[in-house]
Amino acid sequence: MKTLIAIIVAALAAPLSAQWLDYPTAGVPKTAAGKPNLTAPAPKTADGKPDFSGIWRADRRIGPNPCPFNNCQDARGTDRWLDFGAGLSGGAPYQPWAAAAKKQRMDQDGKDDPTSACLPLGVPRMLVSPELIKIVQTPGLVVILNERNASYRQIFTDGRPLPEDPQPSWNGYSTGKWEGDTLVVETRGFRDGMWLDRYGSPMTDAAKVTERFRRTNYGNLAIDVTMDDPKAYTKPWTVRVNEVIMLNTELMDYICAENEKDIRHMVGK
Amino acid sequence: MRNLFIAIIAITAPLGAQWLKHPTAGVPKTADGKPNLSAPAPKTADGKPDFSGIWRAFRGITSRPCPTGECEELRDTDHWLNFGAGMPGGLPYQPWAAATLKEREDQLGKDDPTSYCLPLGVPRLLVAPGFKKIVQTPGLLIIMNERNASFRQIFIDGRPLPEDPQPSWNGYSTAKWEGDTLVVQTNGLRDGMWLDRSGSPITDAAKVTERFRRPNYGNLEIEVTIDDPKAYTKTWTATKITENIVLNTELLDDNCVEGERDMKHMVGK
Repeated sequence: MKTLIAIIVAALAAPLSAQWLDYPTAGVPKTAAGKPNLTAPAPKTADGKPDFSGIWRADRRIGPNPCPFNNCQDARGTDRWLDFGAGLSGGAPYQPWAAAAKKQRMDQDGKDDPTSACLPLGVPRMLVSPELIKIVQTPGLVVILNERNASYRQIFTDGRPLPEDPQPSWNGYSTGKWEGDTLVVETRGFRDGMWLDRYGSPMTDAAKVTERFRRTNYGNLAIDVTMDDPKAYTKPWTVRVNEVIMLNTELMDYICAENEKDIRHMVGK
Repeated sequence: MRNLFIAIIAITAPLGAQWLKHPTAGVPKTADGKPNLSAPAPKTADGKPDFSGIWRAFRGITSRPCPTGECEELRDTDHWLNFGAGMPGGLPYQPWAAATLKEREDQLGKDDPTSYCLPLGVPRLLVAPGFKKIVQTPGLLIIMNERNASFRQIFIDGRPLPEDPQPSWNGYSTAKWEGDTLVVQTNGLRDGMWLDRSGSPITDAAKVTERFRRPNYGNLEIEVTIDDPKAYTKTWTATKITENIVLNTELLDDNCVEGERDMKHMVGK
């Protein structure tokens, strides 16, 4: 709802003269009819690895969420934005305290969600937020740029080890290694008290996150996310996140703290 | 007072967490094995100077007193306080802009957007106290800033500046090479930004030109020209900004709104 209202308000309030960014994406494979061929093979980098570079958006075409109205795909959040364990039989395997925390947070309409206070999404939640993300892949480093707060995340692919005890942070410290065409990203060093999703599934400083990135074709990215957080969950669990390519556009920075008028209305029950 | 803040962070940091000290790859060495910062700047595969690396605005030149013996580490850069530092007569403010600057200084800068955790914007992000990291690819240069873990994009793929982009803190930046200098043009800045801590205005009429050079391995030089006829009586070029390479470390994200306790004390006079 927040997203939908925000989009409508933004559309109404935007200066009439400002333009959308529509610079054409380079190197898009085309069908015989001249349309983008999204099922063409994934592009490769100079060193023969799959190239994940591009602008992406979490796929919101699938899932049981009701459509608020026509053109639902553009208006709703993804299922994983609401509930990261959506689609798992029985849901995510919460520890008892974690199940109680989630229930309490839902009862309070999620008023204490860190994102309500303009705090970062963190990993892995940033993969499923409603905004666009951009991946920039270089030989030793993958950067993920997120429109929300114009923020970045780094994934080091230069062979360095994970630090043993990094300063706890929202994005943690991420290293990636190639297994064939899959980039396997390990992340440690999370700050405590993060929310995995809008419903308030907890994530603690004990979390170890593994993300397996694959570009299945030109138009799609499939990310298998494994959450190993024994403080909050009774066992490790894995879900798939799908991203779709966004062509002929650019990121538009969204600064949450700018003209912020919402937080005083978020009072729960 | 900020210095006090730094001291408090040092005292309250978790004792177990470690600094990030992964060795920087490819550092040129002197005969006795030390980093040779005056070695030539590295080049990219296509023969352009490579600006990639972690950088910090040089704070060694100033007329201001050192608060303590460790002055260089603690004080801000001159440009951070006033972007016209070192220019004879200072910046060519329009009368209203001079009056605004005086009022902001009288009010101790309480309305500085950065006090509200809003972005630094262009070009202020070049001289902020934190570290920044440049990632240079053939068609795109990214500047990542520790402050709010935020990014800026500079397109070097030949695209034109949009005529009327959505106004934003970083605007829209494109660049072209002139020999070994990257010439960056930015338009589309939002109105009401502060150029510096003193409160020099920058308006939505501003066009910013930055000329980036890497004269040697250890240094980056940036010449910033501002053409903002609403706020300044003529186009002006700031004294050269120097950035120093920072080795064997990584960015540590600083999220301004996290644990924010300062705003309510910023009351001016």
